[in-house]
Amino acid sequence: MHLFLEQFVNGWALGSLYALFGIGFGLVFSTLGILNAAHGTYASWAAIVGYYAVVWLNVPFPVAIAVGVLAGGVLAIVVDQIGFQPLRAKKAGLLGALITSIAFWIILDSLAGFATQQQSLAFPASTYPNRMVAVGPVMVPQMQIITILALIICAVGIYLLIQKTRIGAAMRAVGWNEVAAGLGGVNARVVILLTAFLAGATSGLAGVLGGIATSNVSFTLGEGLLLKGFAAVVVGGFDDVRGTAIAGICLGIIEVFVGQYVSTAMRDGVTYALLLLFLILRPRGLFGSTSFLRA
Amino acid sequence: MDALLDFWAAYGSTVVFAMINAFFALSTYAVLSTGVLSFTTVVFAAVGGFLAAQTVGHLQISIHLSFLLAAIGGGLAAAVVAVAFLKLDSHWMALASLALVLITRVVSLNAPILTGGVNGLVVPLRVDPIEVAILLAVVTFAFYRLHNSWYGLASRAVREDPAVASTMGIPPRRIQFVAFVISGVVGGIGGAALAFTLQFLSPETYFIGIAFTMIASAVLGGSFHWFGPVVGAFVFTALPVMMQAFVPQIEDVAKGVALLLIMIFMPRGLIDPRAVRLRRAARLRHKQERAVNA
Repeated sequence: MHLFLEQFVNGWALGSLYALFGIGFGLVFSTLGILNAAHGTYASWAAIVGYYAVVWLNVPFPVAIAVGVLAGGVLAIVVDQIGFQPLRAKKAGLLGALITSIAFWIILDSLAGFATQQQSLAFPASTYPNRMVAVGPVMVPQMQIITILALIICAVGIYLLIQKTRIGAAMRAVGWNEVAAGLGGVNARVVILLTAFLAGATSGLAGVLGGIATSNVSFTLGEGLLLKGFAAVVVGGFDDVRGTAIAGICLGIIEVFVGQYVSTAMRDGVTYALLLLFLILRPRGLFGSTSFLRA
Repeated sequence: MDALLDFWAAYGSTVVFAMINAFFALSTYAVLSTGVLSFTTVVFAAVGGFLAAQTVGHLQISIHLSFLLAAIGGGLAAAVVAVAFLKLDSHWMALASLALVLITRVVSLNAPILTGGVNGLVVPLRVDPIEVAILLAVVTFAFYRLHNSWYGLASRAVREDPAVASTMGIPPRRIQFVAFVISGVVGGIGGAALAFTLQFLSPETYFIGIAFTMIASAVLGGSFHWFGPVVGAFVFTALPVMMQAFVPQIEDVAKGVALLLIMIFMPRGLIDPRAVRLRRAARLRHKQERAVNA
């Protein structure tokens, strides 16, 4: 029972990382209509920037997180303006943006390799909260509590932003039809920039927290998050933050439990089999709306 | 002649890999030309590659027969995938195909009897580059014939607008099913060619790397003409080699930048029949205007 609870919290924390990353990835897919292969590199770069902020400038932990998140958001804006904006003007659609995002993936991944000297770096243990806290019968590392709380705050915040505010309404309008939104008085350009920043920042947060929790700051960090976050988005339904959050947590818990009680080799297999099952049986995901149209 | 041999010694392997990538790009183009974005070529390549490697290794059949088996295996896999996938919307299909690629790696890791598992699989035979070239020529010719057939016309109509196409009596789902099978056959051949060139297969051989290479090759070369994917595959494969000659430190970065620039300035690819027609029309108009003014 003790082990079960411990693994449950482990899975929840891991799933929270997937969900955090997935929220950003899904936001870009549903609002901007871009399948962004470069999204994982935002997380890698956020972690790398956060790491160097700690090592070179000795900034405290919350500042390091903030710097990493900011870096993820700014990077997303830069990629969007260089890679996607020219194609948006030419109406090249999903395909063109996919190829430029692959180009950015290649560029940013290999630059990340240079930035870490092709190694896996780890945050020094004294620079982040690394004690254990007793929650009921189990001891939980502080980082896991921070990760779980971060997801809850971000998911609720972004859900409210998208569903209840004027900015959110504008974002949904642009996702539906950019021209119609423009006619309705929405400044589409600003909304796109804002969405890109929000998506990059959320995934950046996942990157920094994941980099600290797994002691792995390198270009492989983003790739792992990209594949699992992608699964969370598809299972949850990509136009709903709630779905992504819940699906991400479930995938994390399932992954840890399969590793613990079934076999470690099947960890990824079960995740992706579930993903395929969902795609074929319930393509709109847990919470997805029935009619998702984007010409 | 000596210059040619020197060139082959230096860049022979690049040319062979470019030809293999051309198979993958054509396989992607086959579905892309009916308006379906799918990464499943990787799956068909894996089926073809492992099938060819195992039949040559265990049943001692000839390399030519194993290519045929790989093509059939890829085609059958594609038929199964198409039945499941064609029910989905286009965006979902792209995502589902990506998921299938991820699953392919998990399967090949966990089925050591078929794929050698983590240790990989050694392929005992090697294919002659000339034979790959002949095979590529045959496949490309088949695409040229298809492009100018009723099927080619129907596939372009389906790509532009499935609803309009079906009012013209074209069954979009059936056209897309055929496209998937063609993609499977060509992908299977490409997978076998890769197996007989690398002579070693691991679970990482058929994975995301190939998926992005092939889609980039197809779109880079131009996804509106049968010759585009072949050109794209050669350009995309040669890019890192050229970049290594000029900027050896940052060849990957340079490759990405080149891809980015081509896509931003030529979003429809290097070979674009519409651009050619537009230029021809402009020249004609120019000539007529001059005739009127004179």
